[in-house]
Amino acid sequence: MRIETCYFCSSRVYPGHGIQFVRNDCKIFRFCRSKCHAAFKKKKNPRKTKWTKAYRKTAGKELAIDPAFEFEKRRNVPVKYSRELWNKTIEAMKKVEEIRQRRSNNYIMQRLRKGREVEWQRDVREVQRDISLIKSPAAGLKQRQAEEETEMEVEPETIEVVDAKGRKQIIEAPVMVPATGEMIEEGRDIEL
Amino acid sequence: MTYKRKKYHVGDTHLKKRWRVRNRKKDLDQIDEDLKEEKAEQLLNQDVNLDLPGAAQHYCLHCARYFVDEQALKEHFKTKVHKRRLKALELEPYTIEESERAAGLGNFKLPNKRKILTQNTKADITDKDGDTVLEEVSPNKKKKIDKDDT
Repeated sequence: MRIETCYFCSSRVYPGHGIQFVRNDCKIFRFCRSKCHAAFKKKKNPRKTKWTKAYRKTAGKELAIDPAFEFEKRRNVPVKYSRELWNKTIEAMKKVEEIRQRRSNNYIMQRLRKGREVEWQRDVREVQRDISLIKSPAAGLKQRQAEEETEMEVEPETIEVVDAKGRKQIIEAPVMVPATGEMIEEGRDIEL
Repeated sequence: MTYKRKKYHVGDTHLKKRWRVRNRKKDLDQIDEDLKEEKAEQLLNQDVNLDLPGAAQHYCLHCARYFVDEQALKEHFKTKVHKRRLKALELEPYTIEESERAAGLGNFKLPNKRKILTQNTKADITDKDGDTVLEEVSPNKKKKIDKDDT
């Protein structure tokens, strides 16, 4: 007696459960429940049906390739009973199952971690875009105006230049403002 | 039971007949088997069988259908049904083995994508000189290439 796998969802089919369909080329299709049987009759593609194992593995949602999967095999030759071998096998099965579970859990966690990273980046982008909601663009406006006024008080140096054609021009000499450097640094702090 | 509910299955014999297991058509994985060279050759060169349409001389491999004559077969190659079937066969079909692999019996293999072309018709294979030209691209594909060139 065997625990078979469902053709559609790849779940276990215990003896006495489900239904099977034998195609005219002797292939046996086993189904765990009427849901899977009905989906098969409707010719649904298990790879595209989200609740099946085949979908989850093709879409990379679950661990699909791992040496831990190589232990389970269909062995059609019966092994002669020996108590010692039996005990060992059962121990090994437990161990293999434990390892397999750990690896598949790890795989899922790795995938989730990727999501966290993306989420974080999205948050940063949102803050940068909507910084005006956190800090009003008008914040520190008075200070800036006051600074500008002080600038204005400083008489801009003017230089008289005489063109090649003999016209007179007055050019403002660039004024060094020490306060601007501080302003930029402040802005960076908020940007992250 | 109300009268209406009694009558839901009146006059649906044609539907029932279509869904009978004996009227099942070949599944995609069976057709995939047929596409293998040896099998394909057998299917394309069948003995005369008067019970089948066109005495089983005009068979479409991908759709697993018999046609009455060369003309009908060629027309069929131009149809949506046939093109859809070619598209469906591009990915390797799902099989029982794959369902077992998905359950954890061995490593899961991702299905391969292949290029599927319409079979050569008999007129194509035996060219004007009577030589066999098997590796020629299908007539549909030829036309496409010509269009691209112009």
